[in-house]
Formats: sequence, structure tokens, C-alpha cells
Amino acid sequence: MDLLWYAVLVLLLGGYFALEGSNIGLGMLLPALGRDQPGRDRLVAAMAPFVLAGEVWLVAAVGVLFGAFPQLEGEVIFALYPLVVALLAGWVVRDAGLWFRRRVEGPRWRAFWDGALCAGSWVLALAWGFALAAIAGGLHGPVITLPGALGALVVAAVLAFHGRTWAAWRLPDAIPGGTPGGMSDATPGGVRGGGRAGWALCGSAALAALPAVLPLAVAAPAVLEHAAPSQTLSMVGLMVVPFVPFMVAAQVGVWRIFGRRRSRDAGTPSFF
Amino acid sequence: MDVLDLARLQFAVTGSLHFLFVVLTLGMAPLVAITQTRHAITGRPVFERMTRFWGQIYVINYALGIMTGLVMEFQFGLSWSGLSHYAGDVFGAPLAVETLVAFFLESTFLGLWIFGWHRLPKWLHLACIWLVTLTAYASAFWIMVANSFLQNPAGSRVLPDGRLTLDDSGALLTNPSLLFSFPHVVGAGLLTGGLVLAGASAYHLLRRHAERELFTRSMRQGVVCATVGAFLTAAFGYAQFAAVAQVQPGKFEGNVLAGVSLGFMVLLGELFLFVCLFFLLPVVAWLPKWRWTHPVLIALTPLPFVAAILGWIAREVGRQPWLVNGRLTVEDALSPGLTQGMITGSLIVFTALLGLLAVVDYVLIARTVRRGPEAAFLGVAAADPATPGPAPAMRL
Repeated sequence: MDLLWYAVLVLLLGGYFALEGSNIGLGMLLPALGRDQPGRDRLVAAMAPFVLAGEVWLVAAVGVLFGAFPQLEGEVIFALYPLVVALLAGWVVRDAGLWFRRRVEGPRWRAFWDGALCAGSWVLALAWGFALAAIAGGLHGPVITLPGALGALVVAAVLAFHGRTWAAWRLPDAIPGGTPGGMSDATPGGVRGGGRAGWALCGSAALAALPAVLPLAVAAPAVLEHAAPSQTLSMVGLMVVPFVPFMVAAQVGVWRIFGRRRSRDAGTPSFF
Repeated sequence: MDVLDLARLQFAVTGSLHFLFVVLTLGMAPLVAITQTRHAITGRPVFERMTRFWGQIYVINYALGIMTGLVMEFQFGLSWSGLSHYAGDVFGAPLAVETLVAFFLESTFLGLWIFGWHRLPKWLHLACIWLVTLTAYASAFWIMVANSFLQNPAGSRVLPDGRLTLDDSGALLTNPSLLFSFPHVVGAGLLTGGLVLAGASAYHLLRRHAERELFTRSMRQGVVCATVGAFLTAAFGYAQFAAVAQVQPGKFEGNVLAGVSLGFMVLLGELFLFVCLFFLLPVVAWLPKWRWTHPVLIALTPLPFVAAILGWIAREVGRQPWLVNGRLTVEDALSPGLTQGMITGSLIVFTALLGLLAVVDYVLIARTVRRGPEAAFLGVAAADPATPGPAPAMRL
């Protein structure tokens, strides 16, 4: 039972990095990939429908940590105190950028919140890097360390790469290296490029999940020691299992509806 | 202030900010869902404009609900790791169900609803907002299960090592602290949502907005919803006193802040019930035409938010010095090793950031209300000439 919940935890955190990692990476690269305002608008509009469905994976992961491994929850989050504060601040600023950027017309308002989106994404990625390095190191001693800085650079690089790969898949004509030329969804070249871009995206998603899954695998024995008693695990399981089909359907729905092939109605203005 | 005071202040600030937005979310979600259902059935354009206008306000409000909620979830581990150490085997379960099922579904379906206009089939899009509503209330239920456990640790027993373990999940879910407080919170949400609809409609009717039908309908819908809410809030508010006397005797007597907050909340609640039941509801048919009542409706709008915060202060401050009533004090629940520097730093970051964003969010909501339905951006169609978005054929 505890092994199963551990697998769920790994799945949720890995899922967060694979699915939300691309949005974080795209946020980091926003000024680089979108040189002008229409370009940035287009990039944000491309990721917008996926953000709400992506960030819930981390909320759920922390929920599982709390429900199935409560002893660990307090210890891990407290041990990472400054990093968790930075991570939350970055996350909130990133989300504010997304939600607020189109609420007032005018170039300065939107440029300001695009800046928040980009800065928040960077803080989020770097804080994750430090945190994962500290978890891999067993959470002994300070959390801002030289290996931590290395971890931060690795995670930032991996997420940026994932974000760029995602953009090349979602907006093939917008990204250098993507298939150029107009509404490429309809062209044979675009379809061929789509297949290649699809495989590249799967690869970069797996790469993005790796920095999260590896430290968890290293920490597995320590995590399993801290599992909640079986009564708690069964109660949570009983409440969760009936809803799993809905959760899977909703997530699959997001990708089917807003995925690459359905971008024909790209003229509809994005809410973000 | 010492570390404990600062940690409590941080939780109170983020928790209060969170509930300000949550209470409106709870009230507006069913109103938007009902309006969209009426549009789906009748096909009348006024219901679509209503859905988009109130839906946009709902969604802007939701943004801060998420941001403050994220900080809330992590704060248990940051400042109160003693709670998860002592009672995590019980307290963690409802929070896990809330995040894993309710919030996960709510947020995913909300994304489908916001970005699914003109993409999803009509009935599937309608189903999304109903699922958002349902899961929002499921979220509220599980959070209230967790909170009620802190008021009265039902369904748990103390292990030989001194920690709490889950003994009876049925007792956890039928906690006397939960049974009447959950409908009380639901009522507070409906009251708030209803009064916001009525107040904002009054603003436009007072200024003779061209969308007369839209705001007339909205005002009536708001008043009916607020009356149902006021009734539920008051009834289940008073019903709670029996449970409080049973599990937390003396909750409001020994504590000045809790007692005063309770008193003013009850006063406001009675005012709402009196105004809704004996004045607004009986004349709801004529209310949109009686312009002299509109300033009153506008003035009422902020009051349910005040009452909601007073209610939480009464419930939470009245529990002091316990975190888990009778079992674990807040002092013992504080994360061991939490320093003045750490808590001061995080308090400043969270308060400044969330406070500032909350102000921005309320300015945006007020602006959305003031600009009226014609400026609603949510669900705007591609072919709409009023589209403020960029031209579709742009290149990088």
C-alpha cells in the first residue's frame, strides 16, 4: 500500500515536471522566443489552456505527501524553508503575470506582466533546482550550496529546453527550427514536422521529469519509512480511486481539445 | 512579537486573504452555471452576455484564490510541521483528498471552461462549469473536514508514542464541529455572491446602463441567492452553538477578540437576514426600478466579506491556545528550529506579494464591473468585430 502511494507521489511530481515544466520553460524564454508583443502574445496564448491543468499536479503531489507521508511533509518543507518561500513567490508572480497581462489594454501593462511571467518562471525553476539538489543530498545542512547552484542550472536548462521543444511542437512556424510557413497544421510539411516534433516533445518531457524522479528514487527508502498507517492510506484511497477516471479524462481532454491539430480556431483571442 | 505570534499572523493574513476570494468563488460559481444553463436551454443572447460578464468577474476573482491557496497549502509544512508530526496521519487525509480530487478536477475543468468557449460543444462546455461548481463545493467540504478536526479531533485516538492516529473515518466526517459549519460556509458564499450580483447590477441600473434587461435579471437573481444564503448562514450559524458548547465550552467567553468578532458577525448576519427576508425579497419584482434602493444595495456589497473574516477570527482565535483542540497547542505545533529571521522574511514576502496582488485583483474586478458586459473579454468570439485581441495572421 505504501509502495503504491509512493508510486503515485513519483507520478504526480514527474507529471508536474513533464507537463508544467514546458510552461515554466516557455515563461523563462518568453523574451527570447517572442521578440515583439504579438509574438509574446502568441506564445502565451499557446500555453495558456495547459497552465491550470499543469500546475495542479504539484498541488496534488504535496497533498499526497501530506496524506500518505505526513511525517515527511513537515520535515521536507521545513528543511527547504527559504527555497519553498522563493518557489511560492516565483509561482505566484508567474501566475499573476498570466492572469493579469490581458486584463488592461496597453503595451506597458502587458509588458510589465510579461516581465513578471518571465521572472517568476526563472525563480520557480532555480528554486526547484536548489530544492531537488538538497533532496538528493539527503537534506543535511544548508540548502543554498554549490551543488545546489549546479542543480539550479541543470533544472533551468532542462526546463528551458523543454519549453522550447514544446513551443516548436505547438507553434511550428513561430520557432526557429520548427517547420516554417503559414498555417502549417494543414500542410503536409507541417504534419511531417508534427510527427518529429511530437517525438522530440516526448523526449524533452522525459528529460524534464528526470531531475524530479531521480532524487525521489534515491530517497525512496527514507520516504517509505515515513508512510501513514494503513487505515489512513485506505481512507484516502477509497475517496480518490472513484475519481481517477474523471481526472484522467479531464487531463486527456485538455490535450485533445487544445493540442496541436485543433489549432484551426487560433483566431479566438486567448484569455491569458 | 515572538516567532509564534509572527507565524500565527502569517497564517491569519494568508488565510483571511484566501477566504475573501474563496467566499465569492463559492457564491458566484453556481450563479454563473445556472445562467449558462438558461442560455443553453432558451438560446437567448441575454443569458450568454450575462454568463460572460459574471463569468469574467468570477474568473478574475478565482486567480487570487489559487495564488493564496498555494501559499496556504505549503504553510503547514513551513511553520507548523509539529502539526503534521503529531496529527498528520489524520489531518493529512482530508487535505490529500481535497487537493488530489477536488482541486485537481476543479482547476482542470476551469481551464477547459475558460479556454473552451467556441471550441467545446455547447453541452460539454456547460458541463465544465457545473463540474467546476461541484468540485469547488467538494473542496470546501474537505477543507472544513480538516478544520473541524482541529476544533474537535473526532475519529482519532492517541497512540502509545503520543501521536494521533485515525481511528474512525466515519466519525471524522460526522464531526459535530463540521455538520453545521459546512452549510454555514456554503450559506456565506451564496450570500456574498448574491449581494455582489445585486450591488454591481444596482450600480449600472442607477447609471441607466443600456443593458437594462441583463441587470434587472441579475439583480433579481442576486437578491434571491442572497436571501437563500442569509437564511442558511443564520440558521446553521445558530445551530453551531450547541456543538460548540459540547466540544469547545467557553470558546467565546475567555477570549475577547473571538467574542467581539462573533458578536459583530452575528449582528451583520441578522442585518442581512432582516434586509433580505423582510425588504429585498418581497419587493424583488420592483427593486430594479426603485432607483432609490440602489445606493443601499451598493453599500451592502462589502459587508458579507467583513462578516466572513469576522467569522473565521471567531472560529480560529476562539480555539487558542490549541491548534488541535485539547491535544496540541500552537506553541508545540510550531516547526522546531523556526527562527525570527525565517518567519519575518516569509511574512514580509507573502504579505507584501499577496496583499499587493489582492489590491490589483480587486481593482481589476471593479474595473470589469464598471466597464460592463460589452467589454467582457471571456468567451469573446473570433469573428466578433469588437474583439480587442490581436489579428490572427501575425508573424514573428
